Amino acid sequence: MVGFALKRAALLIATLLVSSFVVFSALFIAPGNPLAQLSGGRTLPPEAVAALEQRYHLDDPFLVRYWHWLTSALHGDFGDSIAARESVSAVIGQRIGTTAALVALAALIIVVAGIGLGLLAGLRPGLADGGVLVLTSVLAAVPSFLAAIVLISLFSVNLGWLPALGNGSGFADGVKHLVLPAFALALASLAIVARVTRVAVREELGREHVQTATSRGIPRAQVIRRHVLRNAAIPITTITGITIASLIATSAVVETAFSLNGLGSALVQAAATKDFAVVQGIALVLVVAFVLVNVLVDLLYALLDPRIALGSRAT
Amino acid sequence: MRSTRLAACAAFAAAAVAAAGCGKAAPSSSTSAARTTASAAESVALSPDTPAPAGRAGTVTWAVYREVQTIDPIQAFDYPDNTAVSALCDALLRQLPDGGIEPGLATASSPDPRTLVLRLDPAARFWDGTAVTPDDVVFSLERNRDPRLGGFYGLVFARVASIRATGDDEVTLKLRAPDMWLRGELSQMPGVVVKKAYAEARGPRFGSPSGGTMCSGAFRLGSWKPGAQLSAVANADYWNPDLAPHAEQIDFKGVPDDASLTSGLVTGAIGGTYMPPLSALDQLRSNDAVTVTRGPSFTTDALVVSNLRGALGDVKVRQALSLALDRRAFIDTLYKGMATLPRTLANPGTWGYGRAVFEADWNAQPEPAVDLARARALVEQAGAVGRTITLGMTSEVNNIATMATAVRSAGESIGLRVVFKAVPAASFINFFIDPKAREGVDAFPTTNYPDYADPAAFYTTFTAPGGSQNYSGWEDREVTALMERARQTEDDDARARLVARAGDILNEQLPWIPLANGNTILVTDRRYTGAPASFVYMGGPWAYALGTK
Repeated sequence: MVGFALKRAALLIATLLVSSFVVFSALFIAPGNPLAQLSGGRTLPPEAVAALEQRYHLDDPFLVRYWHWLTSALHGDFGDSIAARESVSAVIGQRIGTTAALVALAALIIVVAGIGLGLLAGLRPGLADGGVLVLTSVLAAVPSFLAAIVLISLFSVNLGWLPALGNGSGFADGVKHLVLPAFALALASLAIVARVTRVAVREELGREHVQTATSRGIPRAQVIRRHVLRNAAIPITTITGITIASLIATSAVVETAFSLNGLGSALVQAAATKDFAVVQGIALVLVVAFVLVNVLVDLLYALLDPRIALGSRAT
Repeated sequence: MRSTRLAACAAFAAAAVAAAGCGKAAPSSSTSAARTTASAAESVALSPDTPAPAGRAGTVTWAVYREVQTIDPIQAFDYPDNTAVSALCDALLRQLPDGGIEPGLATASSPDPRTLVLRLDPAARFWDGTAVTPDDVVFSLERNRDPRLGGFYGLVFARVASIRATGDDEVTLKLRAPDMWLRGELSQMPGVVVKKAYAEARGPRFGSPSGGTMCSGAFRLGSWKPGAQLSAVANADYWNPDLAPHAEQIDFKGVPDDASLTSGLVTGAIGGTYMPPLSALDQLRSNDAVTVTRGPSFTTDALVVSNLRGALGDVKVRQALSLALDRRAFIDTLYKGMATLPRTLANPGTWGYGRAVFEADWNAQPEPAVDLARARALVEQAGAVGRTITLGMTSEVNNIATMATAVRSAGESIGLRVVFKAVPAASFINFFIDPKAREGVDAFPTTNYPDYADPAAFYTTFTAPGGSQNYSGWEDREVTALMERARQTEDDDARARLVARAGDILNEQLPWIPLANGNTILVTDRRYTGAPASFVYMGGPWAYALGTK
């Protein structure tokens, strides 16, 4: 267990180092200048340019700037946002709750509806299976920004059931504001999870030991619980974990469509304005989240199937 | 991609320009071959007024295209920040919805052409109840001039020699040369007064979410949650009863997505905006839940000619391209008809003074109409048939892409080859600021506007030698002289005549080719009324007028 934790921690640190360097280099190479974005092309006197460049360390060479960022980050100082004129920790702190809640709600929808539909289709061939197949085909083909537009026009504009944009205030209102965004984010992934679940269940149902159990007269409910679901759980967990981890990155689209103040929309804006420190900070948060979700999936493997040793990949 | 709007709107410091000093002369005869009688088909004078509010509004959510990033006036130049600052703060002089300027925190007078005296209104109070003092005024103006603060308006004060408190309620600006344009700037962001003690205590955090500001406006700064919204709360003790607020609170919210903004307006989640999504204008106009009002604006959509060594260096080719442009179709496509056919480069909304003079000049100019036969003849005369024009553009910004397409079809219809140099939206700004990006580019589209209502403030940026937007080095001795005389002329009508005359020359010489004069398009929830439908939201008081029907 300790070995597993150490190995994972080392992997996380290495991933963070590499990704921070890659993100920093990409931004450095990309065209544009944060000061130009800031001043909108207005002619600035040279003294003003010098003052701003010094404040944000824009005049240092690439490696010096990266080293400066890295050493400050190790001391907990992630720098200042040029556009927002706030510390990056503040920028992230104000937004991380929204993204976490959005992804959590979407994950819940994927697990309940995705796995639920998949089991239904897998265990009940015929009408139910056909219905789920059609539904998931449609959902899988709908990108989240389109889902957002359809959901808004249906549930906000026409029916007036749910708010179209913003975060709301307080817990209940906040959740109400997140329902449509969470569905927009979850629908396509939900369809994929449902499909994989269906196939996994079908495969297990056709296995020899399941047929043997059935022919020995063991009740169907017990066969499904002990032999089918238990074994199908591994591929289902894999696909669910991967999908949920990827939600963290794709939430940007949905946050923009619903004007939510989450990390994703902040990342998009910061990248467009070359706000280095913010892009770095948010990218690191996303990497950490991604790695943590994967660790969670590994732990689940070990729990679901004692034959799998902790840290080794299930097949 | 509305968040890249700033790339399309290169703002500018109008007064950046040194006096005269002409190099090459350019022809500038006053006879215009194309002068026809003006058609009075379209009323050019749009009204900025909306019906006065009958009741008080509660909390109104006001949408801006991105979230407010700063409320420090010296660093505010883009729509969201200006809209918020002008709701919270007062400037020394007051910009009116029709572009006129009247006394604000102070009354301006000039005992001699090189002196501007600002006498403070004794009633003026900051939100905390303390009086607005000459010290605060000097401090606020000097912040613009301090390069270490990185403000965007330093060049506005190029002709100012000194700024001193000269009495208990008086500040005197000594000028190196007469400058009538300074008053316009003092009605805008550079003239906003903040409390010295407050700003000094906040240091570099001043104007940010954690530092806030201390102004004297009709709304005070409530909470500011970055990423969510900035709340402006009615200032119950506002010093000027004439401009007392009619709403309890205005929440400024960044809504970058067009679909989201439209549904927000239609469902009532958003109370109003000055920047509705153009693609949804028809939908909004036919929806009973919102009111769409069209008013005057400062903006001009134009093609910036950035290279005079190519095909566009010949004035005949520029005139031909202008004659071939189907501006009506462009306006119908992009603005659903809500823009004005440009008879001059400057928008009628910028006639802040000498209105009758400017209007008479406008009426004397021909309404732009497509004349392909004449355009082709001009191209042939210039020997430019088959020559190539390279347009800098980005297909990611709707109005830029639409303008570029309109120019391309105009050029190709008269025997020119037009090719695009397309860049990502974030790089489009480089055409304005980086000479290397302009290499090999003959022209690029822009939506452009002056800081205050004066066609001169717009013209000077691209006609003066060394002007902030004079990328091609275009120069006309007569225009330069007219502009300089206007800058020194105190009488409004006399100044307007000089500026209008310069505008006529620009119509012929076309250093920039106009495509449309924009309109302010105000969309509010049908419950609300009162907010002026004009460009005043970029610098003058507007939010106080917003209330319920």
